[in-house]
Amino acid sequence: MSVAETLAAVRPRSSRAVAFLVFAIAIALIAATPFLPNYYIRVIDSLLIYILLGIGLNIVIGYTGLLDLGFVAFYAVGAYSYALLASPQLDLHLPFLLILLVAACLGAITGILLGIPVLRLRGDYLAIVTLGFGEIVRIIINNLDWLTGGPKGIARLDKASILGIQIARPVDFFWLLLVVVLLAGLVAWRLERSILGKAWAAIREDQDAARGIGINTTNAKLAAFATSATIGSIAGAIFGASQRFVSPESFTLQESVLIVLMIVVGGIGNILGIVAGAAILILLPEVLREFAEWRILFLGLLMIFLIIVRPAGIVPRSFGPDKLIRRLIGK
Amino acid sequence: MLGNLIQQTVNALTIGSIYALIALGYTMVYGVLRMINFAHGEMFMLGAYVAFLVLSMLVGDVGMAGAIALTVAFLVAIFLVGFIGVGIERVAYKPLRNSTRLAPMLSSLGVSLSLVTGIQILAGPQPVAFPSFFPVVRYEVMGGTITSMQIGILVAAFVLMFGLYFLVNRSRIGIIVRAVSESRPTAQLLGINVNGAISMVFFVGPLLGAAGGILYASYYGIMSPSMGAVIGLKAFTAAILGGIGSIPGAMLGAFILAFVEVGGTALLPIVTHGVLGTEYRDVLTFAILILVLLVRPAGILGEAVSEESIVYKREF
Amino acid sequence: MTLVFDRLRKEYGQVVAIDDVTASFAPGLIHGVIGPNGAGKSTLINMTAGSYTVSSGSIVLDGKRLDRLKKYQIANSGVARTYQNIRLFDQMTTLENLEVCFYPTDVGGTWKEVLWPPYASSRRDRRREKCMEILRFFDLQGHADAEAGSLPYGRQRMLEIARALVCNPRVLLLDEPAAGLNHHETAELTARLAAQRSPDRITIIVEHDMDLVMALCDNIIVMHHGKLLFQGTPAEVQASTDVQLAYLGTANDIDDIRAAAQDRRAQLGIRTRRRS
Repeated sequence: MSVAETLAAVRPRSSRAVAFLVFAIAIALIAATPFLPNYYIRVIDSLLIYILLGIGLNIVIGYTGLLDLGFVAFYAVGAYSYALLASPQLDLHLPFLLILLVAACLGAITGILLGIPVLRLRGDYLAIVTLGFGEIVRIIINNLDWLTGGPKGIARLDKASILGIQIARPVDFFWLLLVVVLLAGLVAWRLERSILGKAWAAIREDQDAARGIGINTTNAKLAAFATSATIGSIAGAIFGASQRFVSPESFTLQESVLIVLMIVVGGIGNILGIVAGAAILILLPEVLREFAEWRILFLGLLMIFLIIVRPAGIVPRSFGPDKLIRRLIGK
Repeated sequence: MLGNLIQQTVNALTIGSIYALIALGYTMVYGVLRMINFAHGEMFMLGAYVAFLVLSMLVGDVGMAGAIALTVAFLVAIFLVGFIGVGIERVAYKPLRNSTRLAPMLSSLGVSLSLVTGIQILAGPQPVAFPSFFPVVRYEVMGGTITSMQIGILVAAFVLMFGLYFLVNRSRIGIIVRAVSESRPTAQLLGINVNGAISMVFFVGPLLGAAGGILYASYYGIMSPSMGAVIGLKAFTAAILGGIGSIPGAMLGAFILAFVEVGGTALLPIVTHGVLGTEYRDVLTFAILILVLLVRPAGILGEAVSEESIVYKREF
Repeated sequence: MTLVFDRLRKEYGQVVAIDDVTASFAPGLIHGVIGPNGAGKSTLINMTAGSYTVSSGSIVLDGKRLDRLKKYQIANSGVARTYQNIRLFDQMTTLENLEVCFYPTDVGGTWKEVLWPPYASSRRDRRREKCMEILRFFDLQGHADAEAGSLPYGRQRMLEIARALVCNPRVLLLDEPAAGLNHHETAELTARLAAQRSPDRITIIVEHDMDLVMALCDNIIVMHHGKLLFQGTPAEVQASTDVQLAYLGTANDIDDIRAAAQDRRAQLGIRTRRRS
């Protein structure tokens, strides 16, 4: 057997081994999480929230190729939905699932309302307008004291519960978030493979040519914006419920940039990449605790480095969940 | 009333001239590379910090006298930041010139983040008091107050802008830069040194931005690592307002924005009966941005670009 | 029913790019548009496809005015086009480049596709079957899973035409399809364009390659300075002294025209390849 043949025989098996390893680690992590100290579960919860945000924003940036720098606004809409509808602030105490639904709808509506005027613009203006929009939302929250509590935020939010089961401990949120992340990931992944997903890709590649084959680009982009905003808003509502406190500080421009960075580092357009990107973004600061201030500097430099050296990110676009599964079952 | 009007006008002119200095950098980079340089606001911030560092070295170590030290610090700082700008372009943007349109913008986001946190680490995240670059004398003009600082800022800004105007319209390098922004492929085919032109833009843009930063910090007496973000956004709004890619447009847009801001801030609480206070000034800015883009995406002095004539194929 | 230009006009400020052009294009035929550089040939195509606005006059297809519609609406009215500088979706596969053309008909079922996998796969199979048929027609089936941007230049040209044809358009607009192709590829292109001819289809080709135009077209329109200079069969065009004057300034034989076309082709080849 020649060297080449040996390699050819080994490679599929080793990539299968990688797939097995990824799955094994994921399952081991999930199984072990409930037994970890609360502190670590909280870290994993926040990892899952970032993955959820990444899945949402990736629809706009990765699939459709639009740079949205105001994503955090939708996150804020969700968080403040929960804060206002389940706290002493307005003395409303609606059930968690209902608020989740309201937040999802509000997110979609905000996304469409922002999208209608903005999506007709050329791509690069979009980045700056969404950035402005994110800032507008933050400034309004900061100043609308009677409603949002201003810079002090809203505290003493209700404990969440679903069908009588209380969701309060970090481990409860872990299970909730796991389910939501898996669902959102599945929807996003199937959307990408649908005809709408193909149209998004066409818009990303060449917007004019996409119009030329009959795609109503404004509508397709609106759909991307609305879906992404919905996911962001749901993430916000869960975030609010888990923190039981919201303030404008969580919704700064830097947060938007961090989510973009996470997608870029992991691999633009790929759900598995988002998981990798979020892991780096969230776990790195935990590992580099003593160098807390250096981490964002490091992340910024990593972003430049990756964009130049490996623009596809850590996980390439073509390596989606389907490939992983196919390798696992050995097809 | 008249005094107040004069005072507000001078306020608007002062802040407008600072916006203009920054907006010019955005518009020139966009003209040549069709790229939004998100790190440009950081050049503004760097200008203030570098000037502060140079000044403290001049005064502390060299023992230079006040006015000369200030002038030297100003010049050294803006040229240093100019060179930093060229260096950043070489490292972070140049390798991406033939990539997608999204790539250099993302890279510039990375640069912006790195610079802000870098300065935070070196100088601390908290705001720092900034020395005044001009002696402060107050003049009463028909009941309004104008300071010598404002006059100094206006003079400095206008000198720089006229300098740019002559550089772009009267010098060889200006012709080259204009040719490259008209059409990079054509300029390249004609044997024009495109890299040189781009470096020039990334020298002059940050230089003007840094000057804006020093004047701004000196005007408000304070600087902070995050000062570039919002001002950068406003300057970009000004650049779009005037028509991105157009140098006179950037200046015009900056002054219009400043007047709307100053006027709006004064009128907003009155018009809305106190419902919307002065804290909504930034909201007003962004609302204008969105409005302009909707009504006239090409800006006031910008030319409408037909879809098919865009040189670069991919939107992103 | 036909495609009709009625006193069609395009002005850029003071410059008149298209000067009151009236013409009609019958289905089942291949129409060639020729003329010197800057005569307004591509402008006609860009106006028909909705890429440029119309200054005055009208474009009517089967009794329906196209000039007031948006670009995507024009495409959905049955007008498909190719571009002078190839515009494919580079990072999508060859197959996906065609599949996405079914967006206007299939988009309504998106959520069903997302939520119900069997529906999605049956839809996808149906789309892909049609696409593979076209790919086989253009001998591209071997490249189905390759990224469009990675194909050789000649294959990209073919793929762009395949993309225009996949939804069986009423009007096919080709903007210099032979630009940058070698002799062999041009011959292949001529054969394929002849084979796609169908009784319902109006094919309009803007082209500098006289051999291709003369061999393929049933009806030729000669443009000069934005005006319609001459219209007729290839034989009539070749015999016309007006046309020769417009092209060369002096009466001269067709070989010189051919040389000019070759020149032009070589230039375009360099330009378009450099971009990728």
